[in-house]
Amino acid sequence: MKNFKFKRSLTLIAVSSLLSITVVSIPTVAQAAPACTTANYVTTCLGATTDTAPYMLMTPANFNGTVYLYSHGYRPNVPIPLGIPAYGGYTVTNTPEPAPGGNPQIIGALLAKGFAVMGSGFARQGWNADSAIKTNVELIDVFKKQYPKTTKVIAWGDSLGGFITQALAEKYPNLISASASFCMASDITPLMTVAGDALWGIKTFFDSTIKGGNYAAGPAGYAESMGDLVKVFTAIGAMQAAIVANPAAPAWPATSTVPAALKAVPSRSALVLIALMSGIPMQSAHFDSTSAPAGIPAASALSFQLAINPALAALENLANAAALGVLATHDLELQAGGAVFDNTATDYAARVSDEQFIWSSALSGNAGIGALLGYLAVVPRAKGNPAAIAKMASLTTHTGKVDIPTILFTGTADPVTAPGNQQSVVDKYAAYYAEKWEAVKKAKGYKRPANNQLALWSIPPAKYTKFTAAGSPDTSVAAAPGTNHCNFTVAQRLAIAELLAYASLTGKHLSGGPLLTKIRKAGNMTYDRGYNAPKMKYYGG
Amino acid sequence: MIRKTRRRGTWLAATVLAAGSLIATALPAYAETGVTRGEIKLGITLPLTGAASPGYNKIGNAMNAYFKYVNENGGVYGRKITLIQKNDEYSPQLSIAKTNELILKDKVFALVGPLGTANFTAVHKSVGLAKRGVPSLFLNTGFSGFAKKTSYPASFMILPSYAMEAKIIAQFLKENHAGKKLGIVYQNDEFGIDGMGAFKAAGTKFDVTVPYTSGSQSAATAQTWVSQLAAGGAQVVVFFGVTSATAPLLAVSAAAKYAPQWILGSVGSDPLTLRALGVPVAVLNGAQTPAGNPSPNDTSDEYIKQFQEINTKYNTGTAFDDYVLQGMNIGLMTVQGLRAAGSNPTRKGLISAIETKGSSFASVAYSPLGYSKTSNVGHTGYYMAVMDANGDRKPFGGTVKLYTTDSGSGPVVLSTFKRPAMPAKGLPSNS
Repeated sequence: MKNFKFKRSLTLIAVSSLLSITVVSIPTVAQAAPACTTANYVTTCLGATTDTAPYMLMTPANFNGTVYLYSHGYRPNVPIPLGIPAYGGYTVTNTPEPAPGGNPQIIGALLAKGFAVMGSGFARQGWNADSAIKTNVELIDVFKKQYPKTTKVIAWGDSLGGFITQALAEKYPNLISASASFCMASDITPLMTVAGDALWGIKTFFDSTIKGGNYAAGPAGYAESMGDLVKVFTAIGAMQAAIVANPAAPAWPATSTVPAALKAVPSRSALVLIALMSGIPMQSAHFDSTSAPAGIPAASALSFQLAINPALAALENLANAAALGVLATHDLELQAGGAVFDNTATDYAARVSDEQFIWSSALSGNAGIGALLGYLAVVPRAKGNPAAIAKMASLTTHTGKVDIPTILFTGTADPVTAPGNQQSVVDKYAAYYAEKWEAVKKAKGYKRPANNQLALWSIPPAKYTKFTAAGSPDTSVAAAPGTNHCNFTVAQRLAIAELLAYASLTGKHLSGGPLLTKIRKAGNMTYDRGYNAPKMKYYGG
Repeated sequence: MIRKTRRRGTWLAATVLAAGSLIATALPAYAETGVTRGEIKLGITLPLTGAASPGYNKIGNAMNAYFKYVNENGGVYGRKITLIQKNDEYSPQLSIAKTNELILKDKVFALVGPLGTANFTAVHKSVGLAKRGVPSLFLNTGFSGFAKKTSYPASFMILPSYAMEAKIIAQFLKENHAGKKLGIVYQNDEFGIDGMGAFKAAGTKFDVTVPYTSGSQSAATAQTWVSQLAAGGAQVVVFFGVTSATAPLLAVSAAAKYAPQWILGSVGSDPLTLRALGVPVAVLNGAQTPAGNPSPNDTSDEYIKQFQEINTKYNTGTAFDDYVLQGMNIGLMTVQGLRAAGSNPTRKGLISAIETKGSSFASVAYSPLGYSKTSNVGHTGYYMAVMDANGDRKPFGGTVKLYTTDSGSGPVVLSTFKRPAMPAKGLPSNS
């Protein structure tokens, strides 16, 4: 197997996109009425709800009565020192975001059609679903007071904002007429299980000094979590360098304390195992787990396809997921008052019982799998704080019970909110729908209840890894559709905005040919009621 | 007047509607995915290119040749079969993508002969075949796990399982190679789990054990296998893997003048493919192998004779070997399944038809088929064969001595099963 160089460092293409924020001037004190200015037939109002969360309303002169309420995704609730890849230099901000990423194309398109847009920056960052839901309810009231001709409110949001949006649809069907959750986060406990498993895996295999959770209170805990960020990126960087130097049998990082015998297994297989046991997808922004460089011998190509490319996919996805895992773990522990991850009873062998066959080559066969799992079985586990875990579990969760049209849309290789997040809400709604249909039948009815959930998926192409002329993977090209976190096009966003407008007006989803035509034109959107994304590991996936 | 006209119009519309519904009742319903008035669409994923493709890449075309023959002879209840082949390069992730294409874009009625254990495991898990109820007929893998009806309710095996094969080889070792130093080279995945588990249960102890990771096979890795086998003094070596691994193993052994008694597993022992991959025929001479089918050169066999004729006409230029035979036979079984599902086949009906009638289908293999309402098991046995100086395969001891068994703890027994006759002209007429 030939060596290769990456055209661009993996760690540099991590989740910086999460942090794109519209910068505007906002009042810092809650006030009864917003401050409004009008330019080019659009009135922009800035204000703050009673919890001091700043908001922005944008309304066109020809306002048609429908407003889109956007909920932004997770923003770290602590500043991040310079020098940390992807996040370094971040300061906590509650700048309001009235549309995805403050995208002017999206805002312009909606305003041009007479729709208004609005969004809050929320009072607290980090996992803020419970408070954000209240903020949004108040914001709807603010908007209606400002614009009494308002007839419909459409909710939409990304990631954590997708969670908030779904919760709004479940809890406030009287306020919301339709909703769309993009790349949604599911309930916090399964989500933190993914983060905990991934961090624990990196710690166990690559650097045992990573804390991975159970951070101290106050500034000491903040310092520990920042230290973890550095160590996680260092371990991932070391793995990248090792694979570049020797793809077939990369060395273990110098920080690894695994037994010498285990080091006979290529370290890349440990990366793959961490991804599989956490439920992180095996296709990443630039690695499709299928391609090999052109022109290498057939046997080497097969080995690259089955063993090397999957390891690189796992590496790239872990680079995206692990840092957010550290930040979210620190945040949730602050909120819950102790360690929220506990894997003392986790059977990692059972977790990967199916996948170990599928990824046998990448895991170095049964011998590799046995050795890696054997090590996980004997090393100390992370013990959580029961009271903190209970407190985390008491935060808002989804019921899946919606009686207004809702749309879900996610990439099937999203490394931060894996498609199992969306699938969990699909499953919950399916149970609710079955319940409703049973009730109809029991009452001797024959008409099926309306299907209020439209689940859409962005599935990566079969092959998309690009190689340079020298045969090295090229990670400087754009991420493939369906990969990366919340990686959607403006066309997809606007198609869903149109579907929402239709659903809001009619009370039902567009269906049949018109629906298929719309999503086909937007590109890389799949509507398939038979599609089942792998469940999150927490749910037995 | 206007009123009258309106009434008449309503009446006319009602009459037309009624007539329409009568017509609709009289005509067969073509509501099933992949089935139209004139066509049944089927799909297969398999490696058509790449290191794992030799031999396997012939299966789809062979199946297609058989379907062309059937189509030219009236099809299945008048419908022609279309087979769509997708190249998965033996990559499980690609198998998922290609199967999604077959189901969502091409809208096939059923999958036939999907190849590879890791590949089918990935597809089954990610594409949701069971939930969708997409029939997966006659899998080209012998992993015994696929016979679990509760997990794979819409899938049917055709090959005897790797566990059955290992049990039969174990019996053969006991009867013919007792006291020899034994070695084994095996693919270290579910292939190996099935095989090694069965060898262990049968009490076979190997003196030299050489696992290899799927995808790692090459001349360089084979060098290390041969060194281990030779150093351990293995006199009889069982090989349990794919052809792309058998070839370097035998080629490197020949170069090293290491010549144990080879026992080549059924999956990786097609002589024609091995020779095409550079294995000298002299190395194959005397190699022993479990076989389920007659030799593809045995024109005295009615199946072989018929399939060879079809191959000559519809698969022009392709040498007739075990892979072509396997493809044709899957075609034959598929046509019987489709016929058994009736003139308006549905996916559910096809699955039910194979469950209830599949065990009596005509098939080239000598052993019984195990289909039932509670079983997805395909063929259930092997005979041992030996290769000759021409690379042909003859029954060990001169006559077919068929062993049957199960994938569990059941005994290996000599079978007197008589396989069904080839349908006249190779065209099934079952219902």
